[in-house]
Amino acid sequence: MHRHPPTNPNAPEAVLVENVHKRFGPLEVLKGVSLTAREGDVITLIGSSGSGKSTLLRCINMLEVPDEGRIVIGGEAIGLKRARGGQTVPADSRQVDRIRTRLGMVFQSFNLWTHMTILENVIEAPVHVLGVPKAEAVDRARKLLDKVGILAKAESYPVQLSGGQQQRAAIARALAMQPKVMLFDEPTSALDPELVGEVLLVIRQLAEEGNTMILVTHEMGFAREVASEVVFLHQGRIEERGPPDRVLVNPESDRVRQFLSRHLSGAG
Amino acid sequence: MFELLSFGPNGWGGQLLGGAAMTVAVSVSAFALGLVFGSLGASAKLSRHLALTGVAEVYTTVVRGVPELLVIYLLFFGGSGAVMAVGRIFGYEGYIELNAFSIGVLAVGLISGAYSTEVIRGAVQAVPHGQIEAARACGMSRWLILRRILVPQTLRYALPGLGNVWQLTLKDTALISVTALAEIMRVSHVAAGSTRQPFLFYTTAAVLYLLLTTVSTVAFERAERYANRGVRRA
Repeated sequence: MHRHPPTNPNAPEAVLVENVHKRFGPLEVLKGVSLTAREGDVITLIGSSGSGKSTLLRCINMLEVPDEGRIVIGGEAIGLKRARGGQTVPADSRQVDRIRTRLGMVFQSFNLWTHMTILENVIEAPVHVLGVPKAEAVDRARKLLDKVGILAKAESYPVQLSGGQQQRAAIARALAMQPKVMLFDEPTSALDPELVGEVLLVIRQLAEEGNTMILVTHEMGFAREVASEVVFLHQGRIEERGPPDRVLVNPESDRVRQFLSRHLSGAG
Repeated sequence: MFELLSFGPNGWGGQLLGGAAMTVAVSVSAFALGLVFGSLGASAKLSRHLALTGVAEVYTTVVRGVPELLVIYLLFFGGSGAVMAVGRIFGYEGYIELNAFSIGVLAVGLISGAYSTEVIRGAVQAVPHGQIEAARACGMSRWLILRRILVPQTLRYALPGLGNVWQLTLKDTALISVTALAEIMRVSHVAAGSTRQPFLFYTTAAVLYLLLTTVSTVAFERAERYANRGVRRA
């Protein structure tokens, strides 16, 4: 079985999360989380629902703005400021837009634009955000759709595709921006069990190609195979982190052990 | 009898046709103006600015809560009064009557816009949040998201409601006849009076309105079909 090589301590930092706090009303979802993803890392975030793993992922591309802490992408810190109401907001929305072009995001519910064909979905941001000439974008999109195995569906609309095909299209859409880092937010949680495999296959291929990825997942077996580091969150804090063969096999924390026993027996 | 409807020297055909053209011109202009008011009203209602939401709320409440004929009277008579007051400041003492077409378009546009505001607001809220989030995650700016994602998707939910507003707008233009603007209603009223054939001319007017609404229903159905590309029909 393929195992991801361990983190290279000399690789440049692709994503740096420093002491991030996030509150939703009275509920503090993240209570000071720090994380480093170096180039080539595949970090999987695991934990029970409500542990803050999706929120942490969404803080990285500012879909959620952290109340405290710092996010640095490829050496560039995202500027934050206090708004009049006291909440934190990005200091410069153009900086956030620019940084987001370097971060590909794949959502649990695919979120393909329903009024566009699959091909139009894939070329939309390269053409309108990056200014890639349309012919070139179409060419690249076709290669990506071929890579994820749905080139035949290029002219179809999202609703005509199965969940697994839609998620593979969404992965192609994210890759079309040639991002430095890919973020996956529970990419297989909304899929029928028989469709999970085809999506994991694509993500595994991306991991093997050396892409930097941060992945929220409930697929423990998959996390063990593709991850260079596993991070376990519990109630907004990092409970344990380390190489998958340690955290997922011989965890130090009892909480992780309990979580794993539930998940491995539950999922079979 | 049908000679009265002909285009000959004794017929009203030419004037009725002109009236129909005027009705279409007022309706289209008022509906377009209503879409502008409606988009502004909807964005105001969805904004977090309390003052803006308040203004939009007052607008839709007042305009939808007052009879349409009254709105037209208020604008027509109040409008020239206001202009004359301004004229007096600059030393002009004469009577100024406002252009009936512009006032008509403004009045019906205001009414149309109040209904469009609610239709557009509901449609914007019906767009799944994930569609917008996916666009933000790609680095699309707010303006680009509006143009490429939000407007096309909003249109999908708004078109059936806007089709309704269009029909109301088209029929509301009949009220403008009180300002003597020569649209369908006014022309048939004048023709009915001078020929003493009211039933004939009002029936003709009804047929003309029905023609216009039927043609526009087909147009809206086509537009809906286009906006709903990629949506599975139930």
